[in-house]
Amino acid sequence: MKERKKLLMTVLGTLILFSVAFLLLYLFYFKVLKADTASEGSKEILIQVIVPDEEVLEFTIITNAETLREALDEKKLIGGEESIYGFLITEVNGRKADNSKQEWWCITKDGEFSDYGVDMLIIQDKDKYELTLMEGY
Amino acid sequence: MRTKDMVIIGIMSALIITVQIGLAFLPNIELVSLLIILCTIVYRWKTLFIIYVFVIVEVLIYGFGIWSINYLYIWTVLMLITMLFRNKRSPFFWAILSGAYGLSFGTLCSVPYLFIGGIPMAVSKIISGIPFDVVHCIGNYVIALVLFKPLYRFLEWINQKGNDLIS
Repeated sequence: MKERKKLLMTVLGTLILFSVAFLLLYLFYFKVLKADTASEGSKEILIQVIVPDEEVLEFTIITNAETLREALDEKKLIGGEESIYGFLITEVNGRKADNSKQEWWCITKDGEFSDYGVDMLIIQDKDKYELTLMEGY
Repeated sequence: MRTKDMVIIGIMSALIITVQIGLAFLPNIELVSLLIILCTIVYRWKTLFIIYVFVIVEVLIYGFGIWSINYLYIWTVLMLITMLFRNKRSPFFWAILSGAYGLSFGTLCSVPYLFIGGIPMAVSKIISGIPFDVVHCIGNYVIALVLFKPLYRFLEWINQKGNDLIS
């Protein structure tokens, strides 16, 4: 009897755990991801890509994303790598920063340096960000 | 603190660091949770020292980041939960607990973001981490289910041998 109760509790515990896990996954994919792609978005942000000696490119992103990284990822504008300091941008609009020339991508908001990384910058409607290719560390 | 305790803390911390680095290429598949559970069952409060040696070495290896703040409390939370159920020996029980811990890992890690960007940032971190938490949950469940018993027996055997040698 005790063994049966134990078995029942084990099966029940496992079922509850995986039900919660799959419910969360379901909500994530069908309520969060789909909702994001289905609606046009509530925020409009302007991104300027500045490469020295080249024409400044401008991208308008209409999004529901919370962070700048999510918004840029939606448009596949950036590439990079995860680091212990957060996401490190190494590529913008197909232009890779050349390590050998000490190039790196700098994020500014209305010309002001940002204290946070791209994945921690919360975006607001009408925000304007500049992604500038810098040379020299 | 006795010499034996210092040796245990050193060896177990080194073991946890090794398995963490060894499995770092697999996102959210880790043995650290199970080893902390096992250390807590066998070595009780000494696990606190093991955890913080592990955390200090991790910071020395990877540098300081937001994750370092998480590590200051996240493993201790697991240890405290384990202390509550330290007499349980069922692999299924620990698999469920370890799985639940894996599932709530993202939520626990979002605490610093609450202070950085408020509730919206913390919630967005939790939501964006759901797929990783689910992988963590399944990974922890399977690992604990398969490895809890053999590793517990091994650790108990070593502990017993150590005690016999001293006495």
